[in-house]
Amino acid sequence: MRHRLILNEITHTFEDGGMQRTVLDRLSLQVAEGELVAVMGPSGSGKSTFLSIAGALLKPTSGEVLLDGESMAGKEKQALSDMRLHKLGFIFQNANLIPYLKVEEQLMLVAKLGDMSRAKANDRIGELLHKLGLDHRRHAYPEKLSGGERQRVAIARALMNDPAVLLADEPTASLDAGRGMDVVGMIAREAKERGKSAIMVTHDERVLSLCDRVLYLEHGSLIEKY
Amino acid sequence: MYLAIREMRFAKVRYSLIATIMLLIAFLVLFVTGLARGLAYDNAASIQNMDATHFVMEKGSNHRFTRSQLNGQALAQAGVIAGEDNVQPLGVKMTTMKAEGLAGKLDVTLLGIRPEGWLMPQVTEGEGIATGETGDVLVDRKLKDSGIGLGTVLVDQASGLKWRVSGFVSHESFSHSPAVFLNEHDWQQLQTGTAARPEAGGAEEDGGAYSAIAVKANKHQAEQLAAELPDDEIVTKSDAVSAIPGYKEEQGSLLLMTIFLFIISLFVLAVFFYVITIQKSSQFGILKAIGTRTGYLVRSVALQVLLLSSASLMVSILLVQAIEAVLPDGMPFRLQASTLAYTSAAFIVMTLAGSLFSVWKVTRIDALDAIGRSAA
Ligand SMILES: Nc1ncnc2c1ncn2[C@@H]1O[C@H](COP(=O)(O)OP(=O)(O)O)[C@@H](O)[C@H]1O
Ligand SMILES: [Mg+2]
Repeated sequence: MRHRLILNEITHTFEDGGMQRTVLDRLSLQVAEGELVAVMGPSGSGKSTFLSIAGALLKPTSGEVLLDGESMAGKEKQALSDMRLHKLGFIFQNANLIPYLKVEEQLMLVAKLGDMSRAKANDRIGELLHKLGLDHRRHAYPEKLSGGERQRVAIARALMNDPAVLLADEPTASLDAGRGMDVVGMIAREAKERGKSAIMVTHDERVLSLCDRVLYLEHGSLIEKY
Repeated sequence: MYLAIREMRFAKVRYSLIATIMLLIAFLVLFVTGLARGLAYDNAASIQNMDATHFVMEKGSNHRFTRSQLNGQALAQAGVIAGEDNVQPLGVKMTTMKAEGLAGKLDVTLLGIRPEGWLMPQVTEGEGIATGETGDVLVDRKLKDSGIGLGTVLVDQASGLKWRVSGFVSHESFSHSPAVFLNEHDWQQLQTGTAARPEAGGAEEDGGAYSAIAVKANKHQAEQLAAELPDDEIVTKSDAVSAIPGYKEEQGSLLLMTIFLFIISLFVLAVFFYVITIQKSSQFGILKAIGTRTGYLVRSVALQVLLLSSASLMVSILLVQAIEAVLPDGMPFRLQASTLAYTSAAFIVMTLAGSLFSVWKVTRIDALDAIGRSAA
């Protein structure tokens, strides 16, 4: 079995007013393809820090992150940016769509940044929007969408470049229960179908049944309960 | 580019407002520049209209026509070096006159020239002057406003000499005073009439007394002139123009005004762009998080500024030209294509400079902001 995301002995320390605070302490994790891992933990336990490191947004103090077998260590800003574009799909807490782009343009932007051909991009946009039930909202601006629709667009955007790894930061926080289940179901299905490794930070107990593993971030490392 | 254009399409009102402000700034910049150039031209029009490259003046005259006095010998010598056809004698004298039958006095500049030579201006109304006929002058059209017409007799206050207006010329002035053209003979008469300095040899036997010699010369000839005429100095046209009384001071203040206008505009626009960029910083963070390179975002910001500034500039150019068309004739306003081109270029450069601060901000925005760390 292939592990598309591997974290080896990640330690991260914040300098906080002269005090060293170790938020992540030799944390290791391997996520197999097709697997959706839920990460839980109290506020301030380091979930966002963990996700930022896994997502090439933050360099760990020590340790190594491997994306599809490729190490992020020692890479330049631009190379990391390209890695995020091609290998990673982010789904943020508040969808965080670009307000001035229509639904299809949100996806087209990603395609353009990744130098995808127009024809291929159009096919893919059609396919993704159809799969996520957004056909009829293709030309809508984000402000006209419901919370659930926005989060689905965010998922579509994250999937646009067919990334190896999906990272979701509390994707259901702003949704009601039913919508939340739908959205997580889509992430799980997408991971299964396309062999992606997915991590979701969540507080939402109801969606755990859709995840393959549930991990708790405690004292800087991930612990499996149950 | 993709983002830049779609954002402007979406936030039409916001960007139209910015464009309007830029339009007003561009208009003001162009208008003040046009006035400055117009005043510059109005001040020194007669000298600027002359087809000369250099002027020969008396040493120690500080490049001032009104202080310089030369004799016919210098004229002959200059003619040998630059070619007989490339030199013209020129007399310049600022004076006060009365027009017969009219109350009030007029400040004018008398310009003594050879009517057959290349300093002769184009007559727009009435008859020209000629070497043989004495007592006739050409005057600037502006004097019409003072009630002067064809045939009016002008009396020089200092010498008491009288001349008849035989025709009008347009855009002829010196130090903002309207020009009065007279032929060489009348000029010499004026010189003998008002006690010429003996050492300058104002007497007729020397071949006359002039203020300066207008020369068409190349660089080599100009150097030769300087060498051959040790008692005189060779002044370039632009130096001679700047030495006209009041010219430098006036242009200095106008230039300062234009520079300040540019600096103020720079700050206003810089603050504007900066505030907009700050407002969008979370968007930039998200774009960076999903893999947009900083260079792409920087180009996007610069492109928006470029689009806005060139669109506003184009509209303001049309506006300025419309205004120019309806401005009254006496208003000194002059915006030549070349002035327009470099003022426009300076405006574009200025707006881009104004966006630098925002661009710097964009490069500093951290993609990390996209992930909700604040929940801690
Ligand atoms: N840039 C930073 N500088 C200093 N301390 C930070 C910084 N980012 C996060 N922290 C601290 O690290 C800890 C973990 O934060 P975070 O990863 O956001 O936790 P969570 O997402 O689980 O709430 C918190 O105590 C937070 O205050
Ligand atoms: Mg968090």
